[in-house]
Amino acid sequence: MIAFGDLFRMILENRANIPVIEQMLGGIPGVDLILWKPFLALIFMPGFTGLMIVIMLMVWIERKLCARIQWRVGPREVFWYLGGLIQPLADGMRYFFQETIVHRDAHRPYYLQFPILAFIPVLLPLLFISAGPLIAIETDFGVQIAVALISLISVIIIGFGWAANSRFAYIGTIREAFMYFAYEIPFILSVVAMLIIYRTGNTLHIAEMQSVPGALLNPLAFLAFAVTMVMATSRMPFEIPEADQEVAFGPMVEYSGIMFGLVMTIAYEKAYVLAALMTDLFLCGGAGPQIQMLGDLSGAIWFFIKTFIVIIVVFSLRAIYPRYRIDQAMKIGWTFALALSTAALALSVVVSTVIPPAMGQ
Amino acid sequence: MRDVKKIAIPEYDAIEKARRHVIALMTGAREAVTPLTFTIHYPKERKHMPDCFRGYILFTPENCINCWQCAFICPANAIRMKKASDNRYYPTIDYAKCIFCHFCVDSCSRGALRATKIHDVAYRDMDEMLADTEELVENPDVHREDERYVDYVLNEDDAVIKREKGEDRFFVEIPPPPDVRFVARCADPESCLGCRICEHVCESGAISSVVVNGVREMRIDEKKCSGCGLCVKECAMQILILVRVR
Repeated sequence: MIAFGDLFRMILENRANIPVIEQMLGGIPGVDLILWKPFLALIFMPGFTGLMIVIMLMVWIERKLCARIQWRVGPREVFWYLGGLIQPLADGMRYFFQETIVHRDAHRPYYLQFPILAFIPVLLPLLFISAGPLIAIETDFGVQIAVALISLISVIIIGFGWAANSRFAYIGTIREAFMYFAYEIPFILSVVAMLIIYRTGNTLHIAEMQSVPGALLNPLAFLAFAVTMVMATSRMPFEIPEADQEVAFGPMVEYSGIMFGLVMTIAYEKAYVLAALMTDLFLCGGAGPQIQMLGDLSGAIWFFIKTFIVIIVVFSLRAIYPRYRIDQAMKIGWTFALALSTAALALSVVVSTVIPPAMGQ
Repeated sequence: MRDVKKIAIPEYDAIEKARRHVIALMTGAREAVTPLTFTIHYPKERKHMPDCFRGYILFTPENCINCWQCAFICPANAIRMKKASDNRYYPTIDYAKCIFCHFCVDSCSRGALRATKIHDVAYRDMDEMLADTEELVENPDVHREDERYVDYVLNEDDAVIKREKGEDRFFVEIPPPPDVRFVARCADPESCLGCRICEHVCESGAISSVVVNGVREMRIDEKKCSGCGLCVKECAMQILILVRVR
């Protein structure tokens, strides 16, 4: 049993140093809990706030940016002065008040459970990802646990298709399963390649260790990670499982109303988690010019800016590439990406012998 | 079968593939920064239409001579003539049928039908789409939100969009047609059957008939004749002609 005093001391010891909040709210009792680093990580940067900003803004930014690249305008009418900024809110309201239909052929319990169960593997990896100095659970196996949890998301999506039990969902589910096998091995190999260089799975240490960005230490792993990340989030060149022109959102075809809203955000959350992992592994985490006023938050904000840019780049591929066929995507996964990640593994072994292990520790 | 050419999928090596990916990504990045968007934000701004634009049609009853040419020429059968209180027939336009070819405007010899630049002719239901004569006389009530009008300007190599403040005019001032009068005359009175179709068809009462020595003679009062040409069209013997009054 941990005594209450010990708990309180633990909170005080692991306190984030943010001068702005100290000046404004110093002395108020609840502030100590909010400034407790794990709690701050949970509610602020890799956690809730960052996720909400991504979900709220990314839908709009994706539509506007793709429209811009394709010489269109995108959403504009809902809030004219900021270019349709609250269009996602309007869509969300529509989802909220629409009837949720459970059709006769569906497996009713799982059909209603899976969209909510999906949040477990989507949100848990955020506990092990560091945003600057903020991290919820610090462990030497953080990256491994995060990757293992991310791998579960596809299983849940296959679960959607199984529970929906319709022909489009069936086709989409099979495609999702094929894609899952095609990208998962190169993805894990490219992460392992980086772990060989860093010799730890602690994202906090990994981010601090990178005096040179990981993308330059092992560009092959970076490329393999980027390609498999696009495949994993099923963005445009690999938007095969949920190709809306062919199978109308594939595994999610039968969902409507608020359930579709939940299901649709999973792709954005997965993109956020993967982009956050990419920022920690390859892009120096929260390194950047220190802002004195913000203290520890400065790193978190730099981390978020990098993550956001990664997501924007990945999402803008939608306007640039057409969709691959399933066999082309499988070929890319099993030949190009697998070869690239294997080469990255070999390069990592070479790099880790050249660079002294005392790079960070 | 000898002439059939089989086209193979082009095979690129790895370097060429990578080069093409880079080109695609750079094109996307360039368009994201400086897009060549051509969209006109329609309710807020309108395209600047030329004066000869074929839009909503307006009607001036004072100029109408009841010649029915608009109804005769309408390829979509959108124009029907409706009897007004002064025993004359005036056009009504069914905008459910109208194809905006403006044959009626072109065929109107006195400029009673006029073109406007209103292109968004929209109604709530089918019954409203039948525009009566009274409706055609007045300028329509258009709900306007536009603050700018837009022109496409063609340069040597490119087309750019040019926005200007202010509202585009809907109603074009068209000079009235030259005042040329026609009257109907009988070219060959001896061939006349005396069927009196022309007398019945004439709305201005210019044609009358008298029986002289048991033979019916038609008389045309040139002062009353409006030169509409209905009698010319209806004459069974085709002996009536329109003559220009100097």
